[in-house]
Amino acid sequence: MKLVALASALLCGTILLFGTAEFPDFGDPDSPAASHVSPRYIEEAMAETSAPNIVTAVLADYRGFDTLFETAVVFSAAMACFFLLRIFGEDERRPSEKLYRHLPTGITLRIDPGGKVPDSPEFERIDGIWIPHDVIVKTTTRLIIPFIQLFGLYVIAHGHHSPGGGFQGGVILGASVILYAISQNLRQALGRMGEAVSAVFCAAGVFIYAGAGALCLLMGANFLDYSGLAPLFGVDAIQARSLGILVVEIGVGLAVMSAMVWIYYNLASMGRHQEGL
Amino acid sequence: MSPHLPALPVVVPLLSALLITILGWSNRRLPFPIALVALTAGLLSALGLMKDVLARGVIGYNMGGWDPPWGIAYRVDHLNALVLVVVMAAALIGLIATRDRVKAEFEDRIVPFYTLFVLFVTGLSGILLTGDAFNLYVLLEIASLTGYALIGLGEGRAPLAGLNYILMGTIGASFYLLGVGYLYLMTGTLNMVDLAARLPGLYDSHVVALAFFICLTGLFVKMAFFPVHVWLPNAYSNASSAAGILIAPLTTKVMIYVMIRITLTVFTPDYAFDVLDIGDAVVWLSVIAIVMGSVFALAQNRLKRILSYIVVAEVGYMVGGFWLGNRAGITGSILHIVNDAAMTLCVFLAAGALLTRVPGDRLIHLQGLFRKMPVSMAALVVGGLSIIGAPPTCGFFSKWYLISGGIDAGHYGFVAALLFSSLVNVALFFRVFEIAYYEPFGADHGHDPRAHGASGREDAPAAMLAPLVVVAVLLVALGLYSGDLVSAIIQHAIPARII
Repeated sequence: MKLVALASALLCGTILLFGTAEFPDFGDPDSPAASHVSPRYIEEAMAETSAPNIVTAVLADYRGFDTLFETAVVFSAAMACFFLLRIFGEDERRPSEKLYRHLPTGITLRIDPGGKVPDSPEFERIDGIWIPHDVIVKTTTRLIIPFIQLFGLYVIAHGHHSPGGGFQGGVILGASVILYAISQNLRQALGRMGEAVSAVFCAAGVFIYAGAGALCLLMGANFLDYSGLAPLFGVDAIQARSLGILVVEIGVGLAVMSAMVWIYYNLASMGRHQEGL
Repeated sequence: MSPHLPALPVVVPLLSALLITILGWSNRRLPFPIALVALTAGLLSALGLMKDVLARGVIGYNMGGWDPPWGIAYRVDHLNALVLVVVMAAALIGLIATRDRVKAEFEDRIVPFYTLFVLFVTGLSGILLTGDAFNLYVLLEIASLTGYALIGLGEGRAPLAGLNYILMGTIGASFYLLGVGYLYLMTGTLNMVDLAARLPGLYDSHVVALAFFICLTGLFVKMAFFPVHVWLPNAYSNASSAAGILIAPLTTKVMIYVMIRITLTVFTPDYAFDVLDIGDAVVWLSVIAIVMGSVFALAQNRLKRILSYIVVAEVGYMVGGFWLGNRAGITGSILHIVNDAAMTLCVFLAAGALLTRVPGDRLIHLQGLFRKMPVSMAALVVGGLSIIGAPPTCGFFSKWYLISGGIDAGHYGFVAALLFSSLVNVALFFRVFEIAYYEPFGADHGHDPRAHGASGREDAPAAMLAPLVVVAVLLVALGLYSGDLVSAIIQHAIPARII
């Protein structure tokens, strides 16, 4: 069986390699891909969409409909993870005792059911006996995270001019929350950005994108034809396209950030939202 | 009608799916009504599109206001308008019928279930409407991802079946994407009409032939064409009954539509049937698919597994009928997309109805069910007769076109396979009916006699029976009106050069 698989894989690879012989040369300016559709993007994108970054213009405007559904794919993936992995309720494999850490000393307290729960900011609820507690790591990440998030916002907003945009910026923002969850613990991260927030923000991000498109419909333009939004923005049709791109990039950023965090919560804790990595 | 109608069957379900999450998260009663409104609106706009297409012919719609090939354009003709109506109707009926099952099987997952299902329908209707080869892939991803999740959450071996489905489905989709990449490399465009205009000059290119074969292979995997069908029987028979009812009638049919679309619109019949001349080979493959699907179905002892293997055989019908390359064969293939969606929905729905009252779907569990669940069993009989191909159910008429297509093409192997598969289906269904009709209801087969009395009549809940009866009646109605369906719609969906 393995030999059959190997043989068919080799056969497939050979056929694919054989096909490459007729490919246009790499970087050939006369190849169909470089001479049919692309020239208009390169020559007209700035004039038609007022977005200096051609990639952004193609991604969010000329082929914005694809990107809408790419964002929906991210949302579906996060939703699928939640659907398949999430386990609600208490974990029956764990005792129902509660664990608290005394922050100044790092000592872990175990409170049996019915015991008195410490009521002081010096105590922090934790999920497992062994949750690493490292002051250096915690402090460093606390210092770094705001700058990561600032950079994420910059990447989203600057997608018009430089490499970047909603997907990249969203991942950076999502990474900052995941870094927080790793360096502190999952419970604290969930306290900052809960499950409902991640889920609803994720859907809302895609909704901003699709809703912007539907708003164009209501304004009488085609779906996702941002020039229809010109009266709302109070600018001309070309400028409206540029602003429309920004709106959908924000939606993408929101959806991608929340999806990353939400997927992390479910994967890292195997759906229980306790302890985590 | 509104010029924006082509966008609605995709936009309305997409927005609704998101609203299900946003609003439903805090109010668990909302997801079902939102999904219901979304799919009703989807069905209405699909019917509106059908009416427009019948009145005016092909309708184009430019997303973002950009002309193709620079932007993404939707293109609605008789073929995809017809399949869209079928998909929307099947999804809506399934949604209504499975309401109680979903509540029972996914009590704490109502929100994700309906979000994923409405997104699944969004993906399918996008696949149907789009006139852009890459956009089709993106929507295929949506429909597949959500489908994997819905299949994967179920009792017993469902997660494993879901995993196999993911692995094979991803390979299939990647093949399709690779094929589209090759086409872009050679033509510089992704728009289907533009591709069709630029490809004739490249008919002798090996890369284009390779692109065609890769696309076709990928689609074969996605539609579960024997021998790359292995994901389907496990996925459909192990999934929860709600997910099975919702997904089984739709996925394979839409993939067959994609095969027809890619072959007829992008590569044109000249290329597929004359230049490459692979029709005969593919029909022989489908002969194998039909025979093997039927034989495997015979070997099963669970109702849902039997039905799943019948789906595999039916995929062979449609692929073979299309690749006969003549008008009767392609008509039969397209008509069978419609009929098979209705038949699959009917039998899976009937199986789902039976499962509300019996502990499992092994044949032994079906004993005495005619007396206990007469309506559900009657619907299963109608569905079974249609799959067998008995008049006046719709299955007879598409099989008639397929067989006459086979005779026109002189392909008697295909005709023989169709007849063989009909005979096998007779044997299969009459075995089921016999067990359910003649064999006494046994208290020792996992039934609890106290729960329903020794011969008590206890059919499935009315909320499930009503849609089931509608589908069963629809099977007969589709049969009676299939002549009109063919002359009014399907004839226009086939290029004039095919005779």
